Amino acid sequence: MVNKMKKIIGIDLGTTNSEVAVIEAGKPVVIKSSEGNPYFPSVVAFTKDGEKLVGDSAKRQAVVNPEGTVMRIKRKMGTKDKIKLHGKTYTPEQISAFILQKIKTDAEEYLGEKIDEAVVTVPAYFDDDQRQATKTAGEIAGFKVRRIINEPTAAALAYGLDKKGEHKIAVFDLGGGTFDITLMEVGDGVFEVLSTNGDTHLGGSDMDQILVDYIADDFKKKHGVDLRKDLKTLQRLIEAAENAKIELSSTLKTTINLPYITVIENEPKHLEIELTRALLERLVGPIVEKTVKPCQQALKDAKLRPENIDHIVLVGGPTRMQIVQKKVEEIFNKKAERGVDPMECVAVGAAIQAGILSGEVEKDIVLLDVTPLTLSVETLGGVSTELIPRNTTIPTKKSKIFSTAADNQPSVEINVLQGERPMAADNKSLGRFHLDGILPALRGVPQIEVTFDIDVNGIINVSAKDLGTGKEQSINITGSTKLSDDEITRMKKEAEVHAEEDRKRKENVEIRNNGDTLAHTVEKTLGEIKDKISEDERQNIENGLKELRKALSGDDVDDIKKKTDELSEILQKISTNLYQKAAQKASSQQSTGPRGEPADESWSGHPSDNDKTIDADYKVKDKDKNKTDDKKKQDKK
Amino acid sequence: MTTKKITEKKKESLEKKLDSLKEEIEKLKKELNEKNDKLLRSYADLQNYQKRIEKEITCKEEEIRKKYLLEIIDLYELLQKAYENSNPKDGIQAILQNIQHLLELEQITEIDCLDKPFDHYCHYAISTIEKNDCKDGQIVDEIKKGYKISDKILRPSQVVVAKNKNVIKKDGE
Repeated sequence: MVNKMKKIIGIDLGTTNSEVAVIEAGKPVVIKSSEGNPYFPSVVAFTKDGEKLVGDSAKRQAVVNPEGTVMRIKRKMGTKDKIKLHGKTYTPEQISAFILQKIKTDAEEYLGEKIDEAVVTVPAYFDDDQRQATKTAGEIAGFKVRRIINEPTAAALAYGLDKKGEHKIAVFDLGGGTFDITLMEVGDGVFEVLSTNGDTHLGGSDMDQILVDYIADDFKKKHGVDLRKDLKTLQRLIEAAENAKIELSSTLKTTINLPYITVIENEPKHLEIELTRALLERLVGPIVEKTVKPCQQALKDAKLRPENIDHIVLVGGPTRMQIVQKKVEEIFNKKAERGVDPMECVAVGAAIQAGILSGEVEKDIVLLDVTPLTLSVETLGGVSTELIPRNTTIPTKKSKIFSTAADNQPSVEINVLQGERPMAADNKSLGRFHLDGILPALRGVPQIEVTFDIDVNGIINVSAKDLGTGKEQSINITGSTKLSDDEITRMKKEAEVHAEEDRKRKENVEIRNNGDTLAHTVEKTLGEIKDKISEDERQNIENGLKELRKALSGDDVDDIKKKTDELSEILQKISTNLYQKAAQKASSQQSTGPRGEPADESWSGHPSDNDKTIDADYKVKDKDKNKTDDKKKQDKK
Repeated sequence: MTTKKITEKKKESLEKKLDSLKEEIEKLKKELNEKNDKLLRSYADLQNYQKRIEKEITCKEEEIRKKYLLEIIDLYELLQKAYENSNPKDGIQAILQNIQHLLELEQITEIDCLDKPFDHYCHYAISTIEKNDCKDGQIVDEIKKGYKISDKILRPSQVVVAKNKNVIKKDGE
């Protein structure tokens, strides 16, 4: 391809962690670091030996090498500060560039191609110097920085809020250590910051600390030992508290259980404490309350009232907590947007901006329709055999090979169905047609290719082609994707309600089809192998066959299954014998053996193992009874 | 030739040209439509492929989860038995061996750290302690054991690292 579309990545260059995302096939994908995490710690270090470390490894050695480690460099961006590391000095731009370089390398590794353009986000309150410094950092790292965008703008983009006409947005960003509130106005895809406010020392880590203190105080009250004094127990406590906090976002109650947390007077002690969401909310309430004032100030500065805000976007891990969501919704008196991971939405928004710049996000291409319901054809026994599953993006084309259900069947009927039910009669028939002129042949031999082709407008072209004669028939069905929402919901609901009985019915049909196919196969091949088996064996097969035929003429499905299994078993034994004999013969007679003779072939594809093999190769369709075998393996999945 | 004839001829050739251009346009239009359709189809294919992969990943995750949950359930039941036993020590030892075996199968190994020099690749320094009878940068305490899965880090060891004042001073001199 000439002029290959270049990928541009979106980077959320954060104070503690950075994240990066890219648009792939119209969808944002978060890129993992080489360490396998969806984020990059914004930490840079030089060891005494002069080795440069960025990210996780730099973070892990920070306390050992404080004079060689830089954290939170974002706070220094745009200043004239110099950072001294083991005698060498660096500018904040250079330090940030190290982080961006690591991101670049890992992203290239992840995507398998060279990346040299990026969109980088900055806080809305960054001034020109700070933005310029960020851009310079990107350039030092080897990026062409296509655009610097505001973090809240990116977050809003992640929610597609640029497409909703003129409105006002509040972006509430509560991170690990900082809180930012930004009010914006958007119109025609252009974002304008109306006001920002925040608190540079407010965030999730404060919450963890409060919870750790609560648990430690409780333990101290009971046992007189302060768990915070011992580093080992403190570490366990911090981890447990963080997990409990996360768990309480989805449950109302959890128990922290830390066996052997400490030893008091040679007696091992365990920590067990029950935490409720109500308790957690009471503990972190004062922290959450601190977000109110900045929000009110931001509203005041923008000369807005809560009712003027149309959308709320949440950013940052702590906003997953219900108490935080409740508080924001209380401040602005409306529900917050949901659906995008608040930890990733800034990087995702940056990637969307990057995608717009690279042309990867083209509205008319990305918004392709999907099939609202499954499209299938009716096959043997009135079963719906799926060709195009529900939710498939169109335009699309799918083919499957079917066959006849009876010997010398001259024509097949294609009944096009729409719906989720496994039996044809319960789905909506969109149209039907016949393909005639099939040459006389044994059942299962003719190959009829059925193709569903849905164009971008949802018009389905269904064609059936006899691969033997080349004869073809087709119809066009319009309006299949234009079902009303009510209708789609109703059909899906029906499928759910009837799932169990439908499954049973389909299973019954399959049992019958299997039995029928087995009986048919045995009838066909018995003559061919008659002289290779003993009289007793032949008698056995014939009896089994008679029993099966009798069962098939009745309605007792369990009986059909039993008789099918019995006959299969008889055949298995005999075919094993037959193969052994053939092998002996072959070894004694070498190449003069009956290789390729019909007896061998007809057995080879047949029910020597189990009934599945019969159906695996072809599907059968009969004009009158709509009989078809089915790929059982597929349906059972 | 009269001028009229010349213009006539010119007109004729121009019309011919126009026709061929029209034909060309039709051809290009058709080609563009076909290409457009192809593009949309490959795009839809890609989206469908993505959906399928997502579904497969979810299935795989579910499978792996089931596998590990069943292992945990087995261990849970064994531990329950041990708990009900008046002399559980032997039983617990066997259970531990089971777990050890499971970890071995998954190629999980403990990371050695005590007395070793700190290595940012597999150790996570939680704190430092002044200790003049140790080498500077030597690990003196393990807060949480670290593990490797084959040669990748599953979890770094959380450690306390010695700071030797004498060495640091010497460095500074």
